[in-house]
Amino acid sequence: MVTKRRAGRPPEAYLPLPPATFHILVALADGELHGYAIMKGVAARSEGTVRLGPGTLYGSLKRLLEAGLVEEGGERADPERGDERRRYYRLTPLGLSVVRAEARRLDAMVRAARRKKLIGVRPA
Amino acid sequence: MSAERIYRLLLRAYPPDFRAEYGREMVLVFRDQCRESDVRTVGFWARVLCDVARSAPALRAEAWRARMSDSTRTLEVIMKLAAVLTVLVGLFGVLNAVVEWVAGSKGAIDGRYVIAVVLGGFASVLLLGAGVAILLETRWGRQPARLAPFASLVSMAAAGLLFPWMSIFSQLVGFGLPVALLIALYWPRKPSWGSTP
Repeated sequence: MVTKRRAGRPPEAYLPLPPATFHILVALADGELHGYAIMKGVAARSEGTVRLGPGTLYGSLKRLLEAGLVEEGGERADPERGDERRRYYRLTPLGLSVVRAEARRLDAMVRAARRKKLIGVRPA
Repeated sequence: MSAERIYRLLLRAYPPDFRAEYGREMVLVFRDQCRESDVRTVGFWARVLCDVARSAPALRAEAWRARMSDSTRTLEVIMKLAAVLTVLVGLFGVLNAVVEWVAGSKGAIDGRYVIAVVLGGFASVLLLGAGVAILLETRWGRQPARLAPFASLVSMAAAGLLFPWMSIFSQLVGFGLPVALLIALYWPRKPSWGSTP
């Protein structure tokens, strides 16, 4: 679990990421997003299997901000969602390295599972 | 009561600092959710309650740990001051033992006098070591810091028993300070030195 900013830690030191954290970082890889856009992005990408509530989302964002993986990108209104000003979040270079490292780790696991024929083979 | 008001009440489950920082954003997100969902369904409120029940205790625990960490820092400052005092007392004790030895060596020295001076010098060196170990904050410093006050307490007690004429000041320095240090060192807390990330 990501807890505190540690200067000079390699990206691998943050792994494995909790699923919600990984989904948030993947959503932010598209660019700056506000809270609800992150939630929608996660739900769409996971085909509805991962649904973040506001508490889980902002709890994770708080930890990611403290760890230096995400930074605030300022406040502005989303034209699609009315006049209310919303806080935007974006990945830091460290956050991008960490999400890439986690994606590689998961990819290696999936390839291992495929080699063992645990996935990618239709049951007889 | 509107859904938003109910949600604002539920937000009280979160730590005040977190609420102050993210409460407004959370309400905005909840408002967006309400626009795109049917708030009259049980499923909607089950998801909301589940989210609060899952995230609020974890954030409360984090806030509590942060507060504990702050009090640990205060204790460390007190321990640093105690360590400085211990170093000064240790230096004074070593000097005193040397002066006593020089003064005693001019006349006839009996065995009890030698034991008293040696025990006093030994205890002072241990106190000095304990103070330095705490001040240096080395990875291994915690062990001598634990051992030295204890050994100091034992040797001072031995000196006190052998020589009941010891002054109250000597008794206080000999017994009070090591005991205070022992309590400070064994007080349950998160160690701040020697721990790796």
